[in-house]
Amino acid sequence: MITAGIDMGSRSVKVVLLEEVSMEGKPLMVVKQAHLMLPGDLDADQAAEQAYDDALKAAGVARGDVKSVFATGAGRGQVAFATEGITEMTAGARGAVYMYPQARTVVDVGAEEGRGIKTDAEGKAIDFAGNEKCAAGAGSFAEAMSRALQLSLKEFGEASLKSDKSIPMNAQCTVFAESEVVSLIHSSTPKEDIAKAVLDAVASRVCAMVRRVGIDGQVVLIGGMGHNPGFVASLKNAMEVDEVLLPELPEFASALGCALIAAERLH
Amino acid sequence: MNDGLFDQFKEWYEKRHDYARAWKARTGGQVVATMCTYTPEELLIAAGMLPVRVLGAHEPQNVTEPHIFGMFCPFCRDSLAQGLLGRFDYAEGVTLTQSCIQYRQAYSSWRQNVPTVQWDYYVAMPNDVQSPHSRKAHYAEIQRFRVFLQTLTGKELTDDMLRDALVVMDENRRLLRELFDYRKDENPKVTGVEALYASITAQFIDKREHNEMLRKVLAALPSRKVTRPTGARFMTIGSENDDVAFMAMVESVGATIVIDDQCSGTRYFWNASKPEADVVKAIAERYCDRPACPTKDYPAHTRFDHVLNLAKEYKVQAAVFLQQKFCDPHEGDYPDLKRHLEANGIPTLFLEFDITNPIGPFRIRIEAMLETLSEEELF
Repeated sequence: MITAGIDMGSRSVKVVLLEEVSMEGKPLMVVKQAHLMLPGDLDADQAAEQAYDDALKAAGVARGDVKSVFATGAGRGQVAFATEGITEMTAGARGAVYMYPQARTVVDVGAEEGRGIKTDAEGKAIDFAGNEKCAAGAGSFAEAMSRALQLSLKEFGEASLKSDKSIPMNAQCTVFAESEVVSLIHSSTPKEDIAKAVLDAVASRVCAMVRRVGIDGQVVLIGGMGHNPGFVASLKNAMEVDEVLLPELPEFASALGCALIAAERLH
Repeated sequence: MNDGLFDQFKEWYEKRHDYARAWKARTGGQVVATMCTYTPEELLIAAGMLPVRVLGAHEPQNVTEPHIFGMFCPFCRDSLAQGLLGRFDYAEGVTLTQSCIQYRQAYSSWRQNVPTVQWDYYVAMPNDVQSPHSRKAHYAEIQRFRVFLQTLTGKELTDDMLRDALVVMDENRRLLRELFDYRKDENPKVTGVEALYASITAQFIDKREHNEMLRKVLAALPSRKVTRPTGARFMTIGSENDDVAFMAMVESVGATIVIDDQCSGTRYFWNASKPEADVVKAIAERYCDRPACPTKDYPAHTRFDHVLNLAKEYKVQAAVFLQQKFCDPHEGDYPDLKRHLEANGIPTLFLEFDITNPIGPFRIRIEAMLETLSEEELF
């Protein structure tokens, strides 16, 4: 049995195809395909179709073989072929706990939003908090600041790891924070110190959100910001935890959660 | 439910300024813009006036910045904007009863900068209503307001006139409680949106007319057919809320708002006056004894148990905090009240409200809340 999960994020579309196989007589869910697409100029509904078709093609699976498709993300309502839509909190928690059964606190930082989710052992979200109308706790903020520093996102994250300085950034608004970054540039502050200051600020805001639901058990980070090693370090420091669990492909966690819930619904 | 039972309340809400103008033309009475539901409306009604609570319009505005700080709560800013934009040009008077400092400043700006204001009055109600000294002080403040109105109108406000007004107000409170009782049902015969229309309009429609309409609705409710699924039973908590679009969204995704602790709802009408030989005492004490706003809820936090009791009585499954951004009194209560509810098995959701609210992101949070409540269906 194959199910699909689609995460229609604000910046990219993620598709996970999941296959249930039998392992020593017991059912086991195996990821058959994980596919990410940047929509470019495509409308959301076209992007969903395109990303899904690409994922199916790459996996060699026919549409008719997929028993159920669950969608999540800001644009989940645009996935016309989805069997059902679920929220990012439910999908993210399920995907994260599937990968790390010991995790009870899920930190999800994507392009548009950051959120903290408290989960139970089954991966059911039991509480959550998100950033309110503000980009400063989300990936797009880090992206804007990396542009101000004229660094690629990869360079930005790596640069921050080279700094051991702690420069407070007071601004909570992307535009004003950019002014602060420009001021720091003009005062000849090294780029790595500025990068760390920015990522510390994002981590601090995300951490404040997570504290609203409580930091409990092991922490797992999902969402695209998981690819930024500087942010991961800042988050670990802000949350005062020994370890932040990090999937290899953190941006697929919610799509995975969707595909898992789609499969569970069929049983 | 599309049977039109609450259409009059809805129309009153949507055309409240038209109503006030028509009332004035019909009666020749004065209209008073009131701020804060601690305003002793009995005195205004006894003086032949129409108290009209100032509400916001939930639309972007750019007129308040010269007068009050941008970090005042959106309700204060939106309320002041309505005055500055001339939406209350029919109101001769404006009055505030003390609650929070931001509201006080919004009122002060209104009286200074809204050109149509002919008179203003500030009722200096003490915040520490739990103190016996404050209750005496409030009694004196009510008397002082009475004298002010007598001087203004040149007519005596007799005890009998106050008593008549109190009877009308108490009847309104009793009828609204009766209406809200229908929300306790397993399948409530009144939705949250309908209840909001009924309770918020009581704050600006002639109470006698409002009572008449409430009686009509109450007569029809026993035979009303419930045509919508109830879903999860939600409670809303906060200061003022008349964001109908938000309420309708919540009730369109699998929930029913069955009760509230807000000044646009139950806090306005929950308690009637107690019998007293001295009508001024009856009026003054009623406001001291009403379910408290956080500005008047110390040293004991009486509202924590009051809110929990409401939640239990109305079989609430989750409470949604509708937190006006920068509303310090409610923000102060939030962490402890959240803990109090959750410790007693009521999960909570926090949403930050502004003059305009983002329905899309809020829908996702409400849906996520519903998903956390409905484990059997998903897992």
